Amino acid sequence: MTDTVLSVRSLQVEFASRRGTLRAIDGVSFDIAKGEVLGVVGESGAGKSVTGLAVIGLIDPPGRIAGGEIHLAGTRIDNLPPEEMRRVRGKRIGMIFQDPLTSLNPLYKIGDQIVETIRTHLNLSELAARRRAIDLLAEVGIPAPEKRIDGYPHEFSGGMRQRVVIALAICAEPELIIADEPTTALDVSVQAQIISLIKRLGRDHGTAVMLVTHDMGVIAEASDRVAVMYAGRVAEIGPVQAVVKNPLHPYAKGLMGAIPTLAGEDKRLVQIPGSMPRLSAIPRGCSFNPRCAFAFDRCRVERPEPLAQGAQSVACHLYDNAPAESAA
Amino acid sequence: MSAPFVQAKNLRRVFDVSKPWLNRVLEGGHLEYLKAVDGVTFDINKGETFALVGESGSGKTTVARMIVGLLPPSSGQVLIDGVSMTDPKQAPARRRLRRRIQMIFQDPYASLNPRFRVDAIIAEPIRAFDLIQGERDIQARVGELLSLVGLHPDDRLKYPHEFSGGQRQRIAIARALASDAEFIVCDEPTSALDVSVQAQILNLMRDLQDKFGLTYMFISHNLAVVRHMATRVGVMYLGRIVEIAEGRELFARPRMPYTKMLLGAVPDLAMSGRQRIPVKGEIPNPIDPPPGCAFNPRCPLAFDLCRKETPQLIDGVACHAVNTAPVPA
Repeated sequence: MTDTVLSVRSLQVEFASRRGTLRAIDGVSFDIAKGEVLGVVGESGAGKSVTGLAVIGLIDPPGRIAGGEIHLAGTRIDNLPPEEMRRVRGKRIGMIFQDPLTSLNPLYKIGDQIVETIRTHLNLSELAARRRAIDLLAEVGIPAPEKRIDGYPHEFSGGMRQRVVIALAICAEPELIIADEPTTALDVSVQAQIISLIKRLGRDHGTAVMLVTHDMGVIAEASDRVAVMYAGRVAEIGPVQAVVKNPLHPYAKGLMGAIPTLAGEDKRLVQIPGSMPRLSAIPRGCSFNPRCAFAFDRCRVERPEPLAQGAQSVACHLYDNAPAESAA
Repeated sequence: MSAPFVQAKNLRRVFDVSKPWLNRVLEGGHLEYLKAVDGVTFDINKGETFALVGESGSGKTTVARMIVGLLPPSSGQVLIDGVSMTDPKQAPARRRLRRRIQMIFQDPYASLNPRFRVDAIIAEPIRAFDLIQGERDIQARVGELLSLVGLHPDDRLKYPHEFSGGQRQRIAIARALASDAEFIVCDEPTSALDVSVQAQILNLMRDLQDKFGLTYMFISHNLAVVRHMATRVGVMYLGRIVEIAEGRELFARPRMPYTKMLLGAVPDLAMSGRQRIPVKGEIPNPIDPPPGCAFNPRCPLAFDLCRKETPQLIDGVACHAVNTAPVPA
């Protein structure tokens, strides 16, 4: 495809520790097209955030990208020298972190922080950069931006701070935005505002968005496609409608059933026994096999590779050599 | 019908958030108070799950702390099984009541002492209330409690750091049950947990309720979790209960505009194509709340009276638009 913005192929990320090398990401592949929002969902320790950090080149030692390739609009970026990667980051890839208080410097006015970022990446005068900063603040929905631009981060509420962080992320018109749990620290009413803002940005600017979150509701609301991660691998990836309504992987099924909803019957929640394995003790074969109700012999020895099932792709032996309808 | 098991009557809690005296003198400024909870009244019947839901800063946790007696109310009172939690004259009766009330906290990493072994953690209420004599019987009871919450009796020899978040919350539940508690206040018991683990804990809590006839007070900001757990729900906004109703009723037919907004803001997992109601603004600063109804600056139905007079809770709703004026369609 020509309009693929981000392409990740067989990515592996390892962390060296005293007890040997831990593989946090093990063979993750996905694409994000122009203007598309890819939701990456999973529980703590699934490797969602590390995937985001790897794409933006922020894996710090002892961690390292041990294998695979990352391409941004056709150019390989995972092996760029740090100085060149620094120019890609911010200019071509914007980043929104979970906690808007720690991603802004409390000692500088927000306007100065935005102007600095704009001038680092775009060749603009101080005055033009300030005008652009005001426009950006207006675009992300901050009232009276010409006044608020001279405020300090502590003068903004959580939701407003997250808007400032989004303004920072989009200030150089990046091709890709990585949003790591952008709404987790916010109340539901504010969360809804931020989700619709991120969606609108993707639509208006044709920006590709990688939305990392543990909240399935946010994914269902905001993304076009979704990747469900488990223990450093993508268990299932596909269009959001299909994955939410008709998940194929036993883990994805369990995850959907475990979420209490506002609609529907007041029944017992689906329970997945156990919890996510530690990185130091990832089971052999399919990493989900000890918790899986459908596991058979092959699951305990051989690692499943992603298999196409219509528009979805699922890494599960249940779907191998079996017609889609009769499986599971 | 007999009196409700738990009664909260006109609870108020004010925190002094003024600058220190010297700064006030040098820099000017005056005493500032934060009304965290303002006139909260509700009952909880035996065996039911009463949930308080609201956004951060709405005063849910402060109410919970006043109910269990961790925080004295500025005014108003709490009666549990007819015993006042504040009246000094009822201290002996209150001491007997303590055993029957327990609390489960949000963060299972902070609520278990890392230096205590699990058996010491769970046996603490048993020893404190002198419920069982003899070490052997205490250990047997600890093992029994651990199996009850889905852990292995041998887990009592481990330390909290050896457990995952969900398992720690199970230990906290076992500790709450150790004194044969009847009333458990749960403050965001699952919000630090992953969804699959959350489902395990919510199912466990409901099973235990069926088994022992427990009464829960359940604090959460997650409406879907509240809908799943609660028989009755109170919605809080800036220290006041703005709507209180049976769980089914509240979620099927919310009346107060704030409740409608809150329900509309929940991401739609069913993807019914329901249009989310765009929410205006954010929760105001509780030190300087707007006059009248605290929700009026964000409310689509607000009219003059809402900006002047604080609405009282009438028939389960505190809203001028619902209670007095005909609601514009």
